[in-house]
Amino acid sequence: MDNFRKKFIEEATEHINELEKALLELERDPENKELVEKVFRVMHSLKGGGAMFGFDKISEFTHHLETIYDLVRNGQMYISKDLLDVTLASVDHLSNLLNDEKINDQLTLEKHSELTKRIENIISQKQTISSDSLKKNHENNSITSTQSSKDEKISTFYILFQPNEHIFNNGTNPLYLVDELYGLGTCKAIPHLHKVPDYYDIEPTKCYTYWEIFLSTKNDINSITDVFIFVEDECNIDIHKLSDTNLLKNKQFLKLLEEPRTGNKDIGINDLQAFVSKLSSAQSIKEKKTEEKVIIASKENSISSIRVSSDKLDTLMNLVSELVTTQARLSLYAEQGGNPELIAIAENVQKLSRQLRDIAFSIVLIPIENLLTRFQRLVRDLSQELKKEVSFIAEGTDTELDKTIIENLTDPLLHILRNSLDHGIEDPATRLKLGKPRQGTILLKAFYSWANVHIQISDDGAGIDPERIRQKALSKGIISVDSTLSHKELIDLVFLSGFSTAQNVTDVSGRGVGMDVVRRKIADIRGEVEIDSKINIGTTITIKLPLTLSIIDGLLVKILDTFYVIPLTAVDKIYAADHNKLTKTFNNLIILDGEQIPFFYLRNEFGLEENKVKSEQVVVVHYEDKRIGLAVDNVVGEYQAVLKPLGKYYKNQEIISGATILGDGTIALVIDSNKAIKYFSNQFIQNQMMEDKK
Amino acid sequence: MAKTILIVDDSESIREVVTFTLENEGYKVLVGIDGKDALRFLDGTEIDLIITDLHMPVMDGITLIKEVRGMEKYQRIPILFLTTESQAAKKMEAKEAGATGWIIKPFVPAKLIAAINKVIR
Amino acid sequence: MIENKKHAINSYLTFKLGDEFFAANVSKVLNILEMTKVTKVPKAPNYMKGVINLRGSVLPLVDTRIKFDMTETEYTTNTCILVLDINMNGEPVHLGALVDSVQEVLEIDDVNIQPPPNIGTRYRSEFIEGIAKVEDEFIMILNMDLIFSTDELSVLKESFKEGQEEVVK
Repeated sequence: MDNFRKKFIEEATEHINELEKALLELERDPENKELVEKVFRVMHSLKGGGAMFGFDKISEFTHHLETIYDLVRNGQMYISKDLLDVTLASVDHLSNLLNDEKINDQLTLEKHSELTKRIENIISQKQTISSDSLKKNHENNSITSTQSSKDEKISTFYILFQPNEHIFNNGTNPLYLVDELYGLGTCKAIPHLHKVPDYYDIEPTKCYTYWEIFLSTKNDINSITDVFIFVEDECNIDIHKLSDTNLLKNKQFLKLLEEPRTGNKDIGINDLQAFVSKLSSAQSIKEKKTEEKVIIASKENSISSIRVSSDKLDTLMNLVSELVTTQARLSLYAEQGGNPELIAIAENVQKLSRQLRDIAFSIVLIPIENLLTRFQRLVRDLSQELKKEVSFIAEGTDTELDKTIIENLTDPLLHILRNSLDHGIEDPATRLKLGKPRQGTILLKAFYSWANVHIQISDDGAGIDPERIRQKALSKGIISVDSTLSHKELIDLVFLSGFSTAQNVTDVSGRGVGMDVVRRKIADIRGEVEIDSKINIGTTITIKLPLTLSIIDGLLVKILDTFYVIPLTAVDKIYAADHNKLTKTFNNLIILDGEQIPFFYLRNEFGLEENKVKSEQVVVVHYEDKRIGLAVDNVVGEYQAVLKPLGKYYKNQEIISGATILGDGTIALVIDSNKAIKYFSNQFIQNQMMEDKK
Repeated sequence: MAKTILIVDDSESIREVVTFTLENEGYKVLVGIDGKDALRFLDGTEIDLIITDLHMPVMDGITLIKEVRGMEKYQRIPILFLTTESQAAKKMEAKEAGATGWIIKPFVPAKLIAAINKVIR
Repeated sequence: MIENKKHAINSYLTFKLGDEFFAANVSKVLNILEMTKVTKVPKAPNYMKGVINLRGSVLPLVDTRIKFDMTETEYTTNTCILVLDINMNGEPVHLGALVDSVQEVLEIDDVNIQPPPNIGTRYRSEFIEGIAKVEDEFIMILNMDLIFSTDELSVLKESFKEGQEEVVK
């Protein structure tokens, strides 16, 4: 039972997440029938599953909510603010019940009775319209039967059901199946007995009857195939959709069915289809329109997905990595061997493993969108609590990140949001006084930039007051009275631990000391955080994350005896350059393609001896919005590198972000071009300053 | 008169869940812990449906189905077996042995009832 | 009861740095490798020799001599790499440590291990678990976890350092 319970808990957790998302959307779009349907379905599943696996409280609890949302979806109740509030509160409560199904915790117990009471109130009052949700004017309040049948699509199907004559032998009773079809809508079954032999020849254990069945139903063809699911192998079953209308209400159609037929022949699908096309040519335009709508809807529904355990994903990624490594060895071996057939095969293997790699990674990459529900929830709850009005907008939410990175990002982002809501956005009165719109805005933007993902959270709130920071820093002895710090340097001080200029320590974000923790957590995933803020205008926090996939396309280069890999996403172009031009420069600029490009001569930067050649190569990479050259001995070629970490001993490594093992076992070091250039630039500036001082 | 259903499964939790669900629907439920155990009920007693798991010790589901189909009284009794999605081959085997239909695990009570309604009323 | 504790016998691997003998508890030593190709990582501390390929894993290599304030290891046929399993801040970490030569595995009874004296040795006592007397030789049993966990550059006592500035970059 434990396994089923565990499965149920997993499913229930997902349901609850979906539920929360749907409710938040429903708040902004209360007339959306699909969302109501979704909410109803979740309540229904939780009620059923709860009963099955011992979560009685969940089952009881969702029972009422299921009833309410059933009424809503039948148009007998409208969504009120109170209903949404209660349902959202129930979302949290349901999660708690999953962990504590006997309700041992006192708080949970109180919450349970409180929420149950509120829900029961709603049912008994059958609350109707609230000014928020009434958007449309319902012109025709009387719902006639013709109107409702127009709304729900009824189709007519023709079903030829010919059971195998041995069908009784496995306990099947075909009449039950015909009966089941009757349960799906309006049905007319016509039995054909002409295959039944004479009385004396009948074998009672055999089935000689077959049926032609006409069914008008709201259901789709799947419900019909479902009826025959146990017998489809042993019977001839032919299902055709005749029409998107209820033909059984059509007098002409019924007459067609009742016509006497010579020789007990079937009505036959051909005759039926001919009849239907005659009928439909009169109504073609209208029907086409409804069809289009249905197609669009079903397209949206057909994107399916499955759940996969993270362990399996990790195993998959490991195997893909090993495959790539082994394939590199194969390629090397093939090339060295010179056997053309083997080389061709090795190339194929490389193509395939590349494709496999790309797909495997796309599985592990998750769009940031998944975090949104939590954020929206936070903004909603917190803004209500703080009595501030805030609108939360997200852009670029289809930007994808590795799932581990997303997991590690959640807390820092939540903290930044809390700060924005608590200390950033002002209350409506203050905002109006400042000439700002009453409602504050928090914008979350995510986008790619070369080999990085940027996530920005901006608010149009109070901003950070540099003066207050200066005072605080003075009082803490972090800076001295005569230190001159630029605006940016002052703002950056908030990253120091223990730093907070928040007037009140609120429950919400604590002391706002989190920024040092935020920075540390982001650094753990090799990212960076920056703050930009103007007082009374707002604050923007930018998080930059490397796309650290564990297999990257790289450019393999050689410097002295060591191989290095530069991520291909950063590489712009490769040039050959004259050795003298590289070494006899005083401003580290070289002219390539007519353009002056700053560069770093890596042998120098790495403290290696001079290279006695005439020409070397410069790899020009993207760095922020510039192009910077990295001079190497020579470029070997493209290489798919499986990234291996250097380990804790190299955790302070700025330039090298990891290593990879080449086909022959040699280690190549992977250069983080952004960090490397930053490092070299800083060194350069420092050296210049020292030179100047002399 | 209430219909009788025989449930055969070596897993106690499944037996409990099914018994609970069926009794709620008004059926009388007999319980066997494996194929051999189930056979003791097939002594002429009126049984309207058998629900059996496939993997059981002592006597498995497929063998039970074959045995039942070999008995005159129960030749045409509806038999549903429990299976997981991944066992396509087993499904074929069970059907060939004479099973009427199947229920896919894990299942919610509604699905169980839906399957039963296909084969008995 | 106390008697029993005193008589615990453990296995230690002995090795040489220069002329001195050291020992490490075998539980810390996963493997002993011959000298192999080392890829130097630029801009790393002096005692980090680089990385090596150990069956598909990238293993950092530490020059133990430099940690002990000796001159850099000169590679000979006897030079070995000890693959160590170190506990660093509660987490298990693997690394390779260069030694001049490896001797043997000795079984040493706790009884024969003396705590390190505060005076008379060049090394800071916290890095030494104890001193064992084996056949007229004194062998220093090292606390491998501490030595290889620390970011500290030197294992030597302050007074023994010879005004050398560690060149970090």
